[in-house]
Amino acid sequence: MAGTIRAQYPASIRTVLVPCTGRIGSDMVMRTFGRGADGVMIVG
Amino acid sequence: MLEANRHPNIEILTYSEVVNVNGYIGNFEVEVNRKSRYVNESKCIGCGSCTDVCPIYIPNYFDENLSARKCIDIAFAQAVPAIQDIARESCVECFGCVDACEQQAIDFSQQDEIIELQIGTIIVATGWDLYKGPDYGYGTYENVINQIELERIIAPNGPTYGHLKRPSDRKRPKKILFINCVGSRDVNKNPWCSVVCCNLSLKNSKLIQSEYPDSEIVCVYIDMRCAGKDYEEYYRRSRDAGIIFVKGLVGKIEEDPETKNLIVQFEPVGTDSLVNMEVEMVVLSPASLPSEGTVEIARVMNMEKSPDGFLKEYHARLDPISTKVPGIYLAGSAQGQKTIELAVSQAKGAASSAGIPMGKGEYTMELIRATPSDERCAKCYKCIEACPYNAISVNESGNLVVDIILCRGCGTCAAICPSKAIDLTNFKDIQYMAIIDELLPIGA
Repeated sequence: MAGTIRAQYPASIRTVLVPCTGRIGSDMVMRTFGRGADGVMIVG
Repeated sequence: MLEANRHPNIEILTYSEVVNVNGYIGNFEVEVNRKSRYVNESKCIGCGSCTDVCPIYIPNYFDENLSARKCIDIAFAQAVPAIQDIARESCVECFGCVDACEQQAIDFSQQDEIIELQIGTIIVATGWDLYKGPDYGYGTYENVINQIELERIIAPNGPTYGHLKRPSDRKRPKKILFINCVGSRDVNKNPWCSVVCCNLSLKNSKLIQSEYPDSEIVCVYIDMRCAGKDYEEYYRRSRDAGIIFVKGLVGKIEEDPETKNLIVQFEPVGTDSLVNMEVEMVVLSPASLPSEGTVEIARVMNMEKSPDGFLKEYHARLDPISTKVPGIYLAGSAQGQKTIELAVSQAKGAASSAGIPMGKGEYTMELIRATPSDERCAKCYKCIEACPYNAISVNESGNLVVDIILCRGCGTCAAICPSKAIDLTNFKDIQYMAIIDELLPIGA
């Protein structure tokens, strides 16, 4: 969708593909914070 | 419809509603509520002697309530099967029909019946409904009607047998105004273009003009969208036939209380003038909305919907026929606004799509599935509650069993498991941790 509408986003964003937003557990989110991420956006 | 009904491999269940769908491609279990029509379908021959004796008249739904039908009547002349049904909420139970029926087909004790069907693939084609908001005095002013009502009025089997008459005094209106994009292309109502209305206005205005050449027809539009094969030519022919097309938006519409004529005010685009016009009838082209049946089947089958409420396809451009659920396909306006030829194309595509797995007798799917580990499982069974597809159950020894066909590999169970006892093939926790670690190197 972001590609179709040619949306721009900062190069500092890292994307992780999940089969479904339900797959994301708190441990995964906490891991990203532990590794220095400033925020996590869950997009469905 | 008649041809389909006579086909040995097609069974049509009319006056019926799908109430529950379970299972998966090749093995759907569908529950259908066969509503009671209080007439025995196998006995009734559709002779209509019951209709003749029935004393009750009710609004005729098929004629947009512009005419009346009997309480026991055929839905419409070409209905399949051509047998009567009783509108029980209006019936006074005089039982005159019971005495009149020579076939003894009328059965007031009939109850709704739920039947179960084993189905391989499903095509959803539940269509669209018309927007019926109070725009431009619709519902208040008698002579403001919509396109479908006009369709019925000018239909040879309609309430006026094809003679153009306006509702208030049953006289033929000479000056008619068509208003396009009513409730559609409006960010406050329905933002979409309903696709068919421009051509519908062309067709009906041209029909009236050719039948009654002294008619004065004005069509007010935002944009004439006559894209597609032969449509632009059709538009040109309508202009040549003398129908006046005005780009603009109708601002005000008022009814003359005596004549029931309508006084319309609009500003044609590109002029500074405000046009005041008195017309005898106004025909609105309202937005198309997902039909009641579409809303209901989406709820029953738990189907995904687009933001506009129509059913969501697998991919809007590349696969508008399939859904995300294997074995369920879409056809026609249930998926989105479209013209007849597109609906026919999509229906043929859906039939072919459904025919492929049915003909092969097998279906290949990606096995991204939840895999439980008995050693780690603490038997809290949180995953069973969390699973949106009811794919997880417990066997006699209390261990988890995942139905690999019901499971769609979403991974909700893997995320919720406190003891990390259930994981997803190819999308394991350990893999995600490795991805995160690689994306966010320490010290970078």
